[in-house]
Amino acid sequence: MRDFDSVELGIMWDRLVSIVDEIVSALVRSAFSTNTKYAGDLSCVLFDAQGNSLSQGTFSQPSFTGTAPPTLRHMLARFPPETLVPGDVLITNDPWMGTGHLFDVNVMRPVFRGERLVGYTISVTHLPDIGGLGFGTGASDVYQEGIQIPINKLYRAGELNEELLEMVLANVRLRDMVSGDIMANVTCNEVGGRALLEFMDEYGLDDLAPLATAIIRQTEQTMRAAIAEIPDGVYRNEIEAEAIEGNVTLAVTVTVAGSDITLDYAGTGPAVPYGINVPLCYTRAYTNYAVKTLTIPEVPNNEGAGNPITLRAPENSILNAQPPFPTGGRHVIGHFVAPLVFGALADVLPERVPAESGMMTQVNYFGTRPDGEAFSSILFSAGGYGALEGMDGWATVSAPGNMINVPVEVWESEIGVTYLHKRLHPDSGGAGEYRGGTGQDMLIRNDTGNPLTLSCFAGRTEVAPKGHLGGHPGGRRELQVNGEIVHPKGRYVLAPGDVMRTLEAGGGGVGDPRKRTADALRRDIAEGFLTPEAARTLHGRDEG
Amino acid sequence: MYRLGVDVGGTFTDFALLAGASGEIRVHKRLTTPDDPSTAVLAGIEALTREQGCAPSEIGDLVHGTTLVTNAVIERRGGRTGQLTTAGFRDLLTIGKEQRYDMWDLRLGFPEPIVPRPRRREVAERVLHTGEVETPLDLDGAVSAVEDLVREEGIDALAICLLHAYANPAHEKAVAEAVAARFPDLYLSLSSEVSPFMWEFERFTTTTVNAYTQPLADRYLARLEDGLHALGFTGAFRLMTSSGGAAAPATARRFPVRLIESGPAAGALMCAILGQRLDQPDLLSFDMGGTTTKGALIIDHRPMRQDSLEIARVHGFKKGSGLPLKIPVIDMIEIGSGGGGIARVDQRGLIRVGPESAGADPGPACYGRDGAAATLTDANLALGYLDPGFFLGGTMALDAAAADGAIQATLAAPLALTATRAGWGVHETVNEDVVRAFRVHAAERGIDHRRCAMVAFGGSGPVHAARIARKLKIARVVYPAGAGVMSAIGLLACPISYEIIRSDKRALADLDGAGFAAKFADLAAEAAGYLQAAGVAAADVQLDRRLDMRYRGQGYEVEVVLPPEVDPADALARLEALFEDAYEAVFAMRGLPRGLEIVNWKLAASGPMPAIAETGYRLVARAGDENATARKGTRQVYFPETGPLDCPVFDRYALAAGDEVAGPALVEERESTCLIGPGDRLWVDAMGNLVAEIGGEGE
Repeated sequence: MRDFDSVELGIMWDRLVSIVDEIVSALVRSAFSTNTKYAGDLSCVLFDAQGNSLSQGTFSQPSFTGTAPPTLRHMLARFPPETLVPGDVLITNDPWMGTGHLFDVNVMRPVFRGERLVGYTISVTHLPDIGGLGFGTGASDVYQEGIQIPINKLYRAGELNEELLEMVLANVRLRDMVSGDIMANVTCNEVGGRALLEFMDEYGLDDLAPLATAIIRQTEQTMRAAIAEIPDGVYRNEIEAEAIEGNVTLAVTVTVAGSDITLDYAGTGPAVPYGINVPLCYTRAYTNYAVKTLTIPEVPNNEGAGNPITLRAPENSILNAQPPFPTGGRHVIGHFVAPLVFGALADVLPERVPAESGMMTQVNYFGTRPDGEAFSSILFSAGGYGALEGMDGWATVSAPGNMINVPVEVWESEIGVTYLHKRLHPDSGGAGEYRGGTGQDMLIRNDTGNPLTLSCFAGRTEVAPKGHLGGHPGGRRELQVNGEIVHPKGRYVLAPGDVMRTLEAGGGGVGDPRKRTADALRRDIAEGFLTPEAARTLHGRDEG
Repeated sequence: MYRLGVDVGGTFTDFALLAGASGEIRVHKRLTTPDDPSTAVLAGIEALTREQGCAPSEIGDLVHGTTLVTNAVIERRGGRTGQLTTAGFRDLLTIGKEQRYDMWDLRLGFPEPIVPRPRRREVAERVLHTGEVETPLDLDGAVSAVEDLVREEGIDALAICLLHAYANPAHEKAVAEAVAARFPDLYLSLSSEVSPFMWEFERFTTTTVNAYTQPLADRYLARLEDGLHALGFTGAFRLMTSSGGAAAPATARRFPVRLIESGPAAGALMCAILGQRLDQPDLLSFDMGGTTTKGALIIDHRPMRQDSLEIARVHGFKKGSGLPLKIPVIDMIEIGSGGGGIARVDQRGLIRVGPESAGADPGPACYGRDGAAATLTDANLALGYLDPGFFLGGTMALDAAAADGAIQATLAAPLALTATRAGWGVHETVNEDVVRAFRVHAAERGIDHRRCAMVAFGGSGPVHAARIARKLKIARVVYPAGAGVMSAIGLLACPISYEIIRSDKRALADLDGAGFAAKFADLAAEAAGYLQAAGVAAADVQLDRRLDMRYRGQGYEVEVVLPPEVDPADALARLEALFEDAYEAVFAMRGLPRGLEIVNWKLAASGPMPAIAETGYRLVARAGDENATARKGTRQVYFPETGPLDCPVFDRYALAAGDEVAGPALVEERESTCLIGPGDRLWVDAMGNLVAEIGGEGE
């Protein structure tokens, strides 16, 4: 087997990451839905011929960490490698085989060098519609949530499977936009395949396997060394997350033994008859994400980073819901997996673990623009980031989800709404020696001239983001329609002229607020993070 | 007639004087005078013309490039800048993009907004994306808000940043007019003029950076023009812009953000010209000056270009950690590593160098001006790479003891290292920083940097180039004649130009040939105005028309170049085919069943290329050079592979074409020193460039 010295390995590894970045860029630039083209609700992954993931796009969602490898395995179980031919493209949106809900489409293209299968690329994007009740949490089973696309060939040897595509498009509301996004997924994998072949030609590689082995081995070794530095032990955490009716308990037991880490979600509450249940693939994604950020944040993600991690979750707990539980809004619960794991390790890695974050609000906008064109697009807005030892939390930086806000000017021109304000939400960051990040306050008016349906996905309205090492919790989130507080996971129809307001949660603080310096407090007030009153009440100081 | 290029860097000001059609260039270098950079420029012109035996009045044109604007932003030394924005949106500069540019890193850094919140004010007004006015402008409110900013905050520049001003600039213009009448001395930057793009965060950031640097640029240019006049200079004065063309001073004063990378852009342009003469189509330019390092890729003889750049990155030079600017530029990477970069021990107990720079005053400890901080130059001196008696050709003595003392006190003692080891740590840390940044830059553009040759220049570039090339597996490094003043020479090779990029979304189906041509005619007239102000005859103006286009409903565009030979009125009919070809080249797909739309209209107007770009140049030998001996002697130099050893030192001016030198060796010229390591070798080519082959297996 070919050996790579560290320089060669570094260069080729970086290049594989840049190939996936090229796939992401092609996807973003050719897509039609705002969540793909602006918000970064996507992921792309490159595999070797054995199905090992080698590189993931730098800009990606944590929720897609490690979901693609099992997706590929399911696809290859249905269509074994020897049955694939150049020009084939596979597709599925199965929540349990893909990324946890029907809205994400997984598109895979095998890469052939001549006749020889040398690798695969997968792209994942959130479609603007998938039929059923529409994006929301209101379904009581997965069948109400839309059309399921079992693993199938979208292209057979370069020929579009028109019957399949028509079957899908006949069941969705925005067929042009959905078909445009599906084709963007096809396009970007084509671009990725081309880039991979150029790379292999340039370096004279007939096979990616030796390179893959080197990358995965190096990653796994680095990760194991980092896990081994965590003292062996059993670490537990439990948090409450808002479900639709009351809260649900999420529990984890983390066992660190040498260079292995096991996460067991026993004690987690049961799945519920609303679309907020989390399939295991999604729980795994955030588990792997949390462990990797605490251990080897600088190493690009691949198969090797998942190897030291073992995961267990009780069947039909809310973190391992089985069909036909509905999963449309699985992210509103699933995002809590990251702070759940962080919290378990907070005592043993106090300087690495952030206080809890204000997370984000997602609102799906569904309606008709002033010019008569229909739309369905998600607006993301970030709360404050949790503070860290030695560092204030950033204002309006979301975690663990990592969506990009759509610019005000772009959203207004695409949807036809008007922002009345978008500003900081002072005093929402948790007090502490290091302050939690500040949330924001947005007020948006329906100027489309038509009814506008908003489906909301948000948490942190009852359970505030916890502080760390004596820091205070961040402020809670609030959603309002025409001034009335509304349920954060509800669906509302705005008449023309109606307004929606979101007050974003702040991040938790770190350390005793009385230790915050006077200079820092003065700056907090000047920069709009803190009101003078809060400086008095929270810090016992008069810095106004 | 003479032509003069002057490049004002953070630490040094470089000069290149071209004598008529002879192709002979005389160069000069001196310390930048940070309190008033025009002092060094004027003194340099006097010294250089005296040396040449000509008068400043014989200089037909002067082209000026600078990193002053960039450095002012990086070091946050701009004016007291205010921002006036639409009511309800004062916090947009703080809110930013709401994104973590690295999802794995829990401790990201983000730049502080250019305008702190107390200097931001709101005005009641609202323009919609259609350009319609939803809320009329409260002009009195605007003026009193600005009055408040002037009185309470003492601002000297104002960025007017209203939502959707790219679609309808009326409110911004009305505010500007009223504010100018009330406060004639206040510098004004309008987002609709500086960067007429949709995407408010990028537009507002660009506009605030423009405002932030306007007072500094204006005062500096006024002083410089006065000084030039006093010297008897009556020729044309032009300023290099970031996109590789030159502009008139009035344009530069209004849009200093367009100067932001002008010196380095000239360097990249010069590399491309050098590559043509060396038959090296692909190059990585590596320019390390006193404050920063710049790199640019030249592919197939052309510098890569961009419509945006990010400056002043704050987190390990990572993409996303800086200030995004939307202006036409040569695609360059900038790193906060330079000779003046201050070395310190960071929180992890490791050596970190820069981005803080000691600048020219006090400068590195070895300048002997009471600088206490150890800098990269101090380390290079302590390692023997620089000669304390031959810095700037011996015109400035370096204090080796002061360098050693600073390294000992600030690094070696706290880290319990020998001074040599600490010095090496500083040198190598900078090498690694540069290598990492270059690799990412090339990878993001899908370029294998190993197929490039490196062109190393700038005062510190030649000291570091060989080892950096070795790490990057680049086989060949070219040290051009005049490596220490490359940007100044490049300034003589840039045409006069002005570029406009304007957002104006139009469905292709709604356009007719005449209307389409008229849109470009408007842009051409606007650009021609700037060119004529810079002295270009209308007949000499060349136009380059481009469009950013997409399928309706997409969010990003593909650039379509209009064929120059086709009349714009006729080009419309070919647009669909041109777009489909461009789209297919990028996305391997064409013919989506959707209408097309134009998003941005782009026009670059440029004057003729100067003759030097075709003919090349020759550096003038200076008095005494003919008597120099090639080998000056040896001095003790540290290499990690060997430890300290006696290393031969050569005089670049005494080396002749065809001469060869085996590494390790130092080749000294006035502005810089070229260092090659064990296993490397170099020779002198026919044009006087040093060409090094990087030997051995590398690291």
